[in-house]
Amino acid sequence: MTKHRLTRRTFLKATAAGATVAGFPLPLRAQPKTFKIGVIHPVTGALAEPGQACRLGAQMAADAINAAGGIKSKGGIKLQLIVGDTQTKPENGRVEAERVVNRGTRMLMGSFDSGSTNAMASLAQQRRVPLLIDIAAADPITANVAKSVKDGQQKVQYVYRNFPTGSSFGRKAVQYFNEIFKEANASPKRVVLMYCNDLFGQNQARGFQAAHKAANPSWEIVEAIPWPEPPSDLSTEVSKAKAAKPDVIAPITRPASALLLFPEIRKQRIELMGIVGPGSPGLYEAGQLAALKEDLEYVLTSVPWANFKNPKTNAVAEEYRKRSGGKTFDTNSGYSYDGMFVIADILERAVSLEDPDAIVDAMKTTNFSGGLMQYAGPVVFNELGDNPNAISTMIQILSQKPVAVWPKEAALQKLVFPRPKA
Amino acid sequence: MDVTLVLQGLLSGLLFGGVYSLMAVGLTLIFGVMRVVNFAHGDMMVWGMYLSYLLATRAGIDPYLSFVVSAAALFALGLLVQRGLVDRVIDAPHEMQILLMLGVALVLENLALVAFGPEPTRVRSPLGAATLWLGPVFVDLARLVTFVVAVLLTVALSLFLYRTDLGRTIRAAADNTYGALVIGIDVRRVYAVAFGVGAACVGAAGALVSSILPFQPPTGLSLSVTSFNIVIIGGMGSLLGAFIGGLLVSVAESLGAVFLKPSLKELVSFSLLIVILLFRPAGLFGKRTS
Repeated sequence: MTKHRLTRRTFLKATAAGATVAGFPLPLRAQPKTFKIGVIHPVTGALAEPGQACRLGAQMAADAINAAGGIKSKGGIKLQLIVGDTQTKPENGRVEAERVVNRGTRMLMGSFDSGSTNAMASLAQQRRVPLLIDIAAADPITANVAKSVKDGQQKVQYVYRNFPTGSSFGRKAVQYFNEIFKEANASPKRVVLMYCNDLFGQNQARGFQAAHKAANPSWEIVEAIPWPEPPSDLSTEVSKAKAAKPDVIAPITRPASALLLFPEIRKQRIELMGIVGPGSPGLYEAGQLAALKEDLEYVLTSVPWANFKNPKTNAVAEEYRKRSGGKTFDTNSGYSYDGMFVIADILERAVSLEDPDAIVDAMKTTNFSGGLMQYAGPVVFNELGDNPNAISTMIQILSQKPVAVWPKEAALQKLVFPRPKA
Repeated sequence: MDVTLVLQGLLSGLLFGGVYSLMAVGLTLIFGVMRVVNFAHGDMMVWGMYLSYLLATRAGIDPYLSFVVSAAALFALGLLVQRGLVDRVIDAPHEMQILLMLGVALVLENLALVAFGPEPTRVRSPLGAATLWLGPVFVDLARLVTFVVAVLLTVALSLFLYRTDLGRTIRAAADNTYGALVIGIDVRRVYAVAFGVGAACVGAAGALVSSILPFQPPTGLSLSVTSFNIVIIGGMGSLLGAFIGGLLVSVAESLGAVFLKPSLKELVSFSLLIVILLFRPAGLFGKRTS
């Protein structure tokens, strides 16, 4: 057997060659004809389904922007997506962001789950690459960066978010709970909150509980039951919920835990006025509907939802259905789609695409009203870098389809509450 | 404390323990015979689940019948993996075997991702929704049937190992490989069969829980970790240990969820592991090896 030995001479040759390539002055390399954007989502692992939806949403938007002539104010430069996969591991948010930045991406978008988005945000700040968060709800991601800029530890905020935050989710959910109970002329008293105990679930639950405390409505959260995510069994958790004699169960799930929770609620025959979620995935995706069928019927949940009163949304949803093999254009695909259009709008207005701070200046003055999701106004960014107009919609599963039912201006059908007795 | 809640927790935990036991039995058999830790165990179980899913959705066969098919298919897969891969590193250091099995796990997980997509799913069975009420406490029929089948399969496996010639040769090879070779046992064949039987156990377990437990391609890792926990608690290589360990871990998690915050229930089962390792380092039914 021959062994390749590294001699001093071969080592010197190799390093000299490497240094020559690396040291070649940048301007002499070919000028890019495209603007590279790093798009990172969990495409494999437990969150692969929403992650793949996000990636497809972003790709469809980039295709649409390029087909319409690219970034017109910059000579029609085309968007090129450099995609990354966090494998549903929080630490990979940073690893993947670093990888795509090293490949020349000058903006980042991602990454669905709060853990990996947080990791991406720290890299965006260090490497001065503007990041638009398309989905991730945990408040501290932007709030921490804004604070460090305010305190003078960092000069510029490179992290912005076009998605509701956990606390705004909570406030909206409590508001919608009150409004739909009033609309339905029902007065449930006892609500049991059940949630997955990951960063997302904890943040959502805290936001909901804080908003409930602040609003002090006529209904009480009598018990809060967290479970480890992903769970292998939720029967005891549901027995605990049943023992609290709830009128309403408010679940914050992930897709896999929803598949355990709802059949268990039915099996244990809990007498409920309804199941009303403060905001989580798992209650409306096509795969979930096929697997849970009647267990999801009449379930209400407050989620960021597409504005299907907009004809353009329906056209994009139809294209999405074709390209995804029959899936619904929903929270995930929708916000990633909008995110890419927000980026295109920023690039149109930026004075220079070479300078990250010029891109940030354009981000700060964003006022974009071409989104397909349900917003309370145009996409703008507040002092924390969040869009206060990103809101949720109450949807309900009716005849096995998710339909917007509240607020009234977004509603496509009348809500059903309390749910009919089985 | 609500007595009904405690009783319900105990019953649900015990019945769900049958599933844990069956998956741990397969793992402990493979380790006991070959001293190879099968890190692809959970992923093999996920393939058992997907096979029963295919049979339920394409051929309308209930998972409580199709578990036999899943077991047979996984037996074949186990045989192939042992003959084609494990056999080559059987005398190599443990880290080589671990890397190989982690590689097999990655391949199985990603093949499932390509074949079935990322969505979590579960198999719908009429039994999956059936319950039997005993006063305020209910028995989940799907879990009851799974529990009974798991007990029967474990008994059948013990009979196979202790009452048949092939079973005896497997035990002989496990006890003393050199001695088995001397008396003319084809140890390589025995290893392949043992790996196949271990994989068949987990294939059957996968099919039996496919209507209880939602699954998606990455589910395998957490199943593997739970299996290791049970096998270490019960004693590596001990069938009885794996069976009792499965019930213990499941009941501990269930009662943990009753008495503590449910999010802390895994803390209970892993604390159990630490306590047992402190007082019985070889596990409840394990033999100390020199």
